[in-house]
Amino acid sequence: MPLVKTTAIILRSRKWGDADRIVTVYSKSLGKIRGVARGARRQKSRFGAAIEPFSVCRLNLFEKTGDSLFRISQVDLVRSSQVLREDLRLMASAARMVNVVTAITPDGDPDPRLFDSLEQGLASLQESEDPTFTALLFQIRLLGLTGFRPQTDHCAACGKTHFVGEPQFSPIAGGLVCLTCAARQRVRCVAFSRGSLLFLQQAIRLAPTVLTRLRATGQVRNEVEEAIEGYVTVVAGKRLPPVDFLSLASPG
Amino acid sequence: MAVDQQGLLARLIKELVRLPGIGHKSAQRLAFHLMKAEREDALRLADAIRAVKDGLAFCRQCRNIAEADLCEFCLDPKRDQTKIFVVEEPSTLYAVERAGAYRGLYHVLLGALSPLDGIGPGDIKAEELVERVKLGGVEEIILATNPTIEGEATAIYLTRLLKPFGVRVSRIAYGIPVGMDIEYADEVTLLKSIEGRRDL
Repeated sequence: MPLVKTTAIILRSRKWGDADRIVTVYSKSLGKIRGVARGARRQKSRFGAAIEPFSVCRLNLFEKTGDSLFRISQVDLVRSSQVLREDLRLMASAARMVNVVTAITPDGDPDPRLFDSLEQGLASLQESEDPTFTALLFQIRLLGLTGFRPQTDHCAACGKTHFVGEPQFSPIAGGLVCLTCAARQRVRCVAFSRGSLLFLQQAIRLAPTVLTRLRATGQVRNEVEEAIEGYVTVVAGKRLPPVDFLSLASPG
Repeated sequence: MAVDQQGLLARLIKELVRLPGIGHKSAQRLAFHLMKAEREDALRLADAIRAVKDGLAFCRQCRNIAEADLCEFCLDPKRDQTKIFVVEEPSTLYAVERAGAYRGLYHVLLGALSPLDGIGPGDIKAEELVERVKLGGVEEIILATNPTIEGEATAIYLTRLLKPFGVRVSRIAYGIPVGMDIEYADEVTLLKSIEGRRDL
C-alpha cells in the first residue's frame, strides 16, 4: 500500500455512505483519479473545505492493490475555491471546465500541461468579467491538450486544404469541413465565418497565460460557442450540464 | 442457478442494489440474511416499507415528511409563523429540531442546485417557497443549505429570488465546531469564522 503525494484539483466530491465522500481529482502526477475521504462529512473531519470542487490541494494518498479507489489520508489546501463559490456565474463556468476534464480525460493518465491549464483557467475565472467566455477559451485549450484539437487548416472530412465558399464546423468530424462534406454530415454543421476561423486558430495557439486577452463578440462569439458546444458533446459522448446555468437559475 | 442472474433471490438483490450506498456484495448479504430470517421478521420490514409508502407523503406547505396533508410543524399554532428555516432534506430539519434552538416554520427544498450536475431551479422546491412568501406574514427566511458548492449555489439563488419581496434573508453562520482545536480548522472555515465574528 504505497503512499503517494501529489498536487491536485478537485473535480467532484460526492456523498458516499453515512459520512464519507468519493472525490474525483485531476492530479499532477497521477492524472484523473478517484479517492475516498473517510469521515469527510463528519463535524470534526480533517478534510474541511479542501475537498470541495475547484480547490487546489496537496493530497496524501494510499493506493490499495486491486482497487481503483485511492484512500485519501491527508489534504492541505493550496488554493481555496471560495471566490468561485460566491457567484453563480463563476460557479457555472468553473463547473463547465471541470466537467470537460472529467468527461474527456481517461483515468490515470497524467498530463502536467492539462493540470496547469485547468489551474490557470480556474484562476483566470476569479478575475474574469465574462466567465462564460473565459470558460469557452479554456474549453478549446483543454480539447487541444487531450488530443481533440478542432481541425482548422483543412477539411476534417476529406482533407482538402482549399475551401470554396464559407466553411462549416462539423462537431462529428471535429473541425471545419468543406461545403460538399458538410452536406453529407449526419449532424447539422455550424456556419463558420472567416472571423470565427481566425478566432478559433488563435484560441488554439495561444498560451494559457495570455489566452484571456482574446476577445470575441456578436456573430463570431455565437458561432464559436455553438461549434464548441456541439463538439464537446460529441467528444464527451453526452450533453454536459449547460454553461449558462445562470439563465436556468433565473426565476420563472 | 446463479443467484445474481435470475430467480426470486436475484430479484430481491436487484431491488436492494437500487438503494443508496448498497453495492452488489452488500445486497447479496442482506438478501441472504432476509432469506434466513424468520418469516415474521422479514415481512415486518416489507410491511414497514409498505406503511411508509401508503401512509406518508410530503407536507403540502413545507414539503417535509407528513402523515397528513400538513406536517406536525406546520400544524403547530405555537410555532413562530413569521420565520421559515430552509433546508435541503428532511433529515436536516430533524437535526435542527434535536438542537431545540428554533421554534419557527420550515421549508424543505428536497434537493439543491448543482452547476456540476445540471440540477436547476425546476428540480427543487424553490417556487413553492416563493409562493409561501407571497401569501404574506413571513418576516425572515433562514437559509440552512449545506456549505458545499450545491448548497452555496442554492443559497445565492434563493437570496436573489426572495429579496425583492422585502423579507429578511439570512444564512446560518459558518465557524469552528464546538470542542475542536482551532489549529486544526481548515483555512476557509477559519476565514469564515473570522468574518462572522460577533461582539461579546
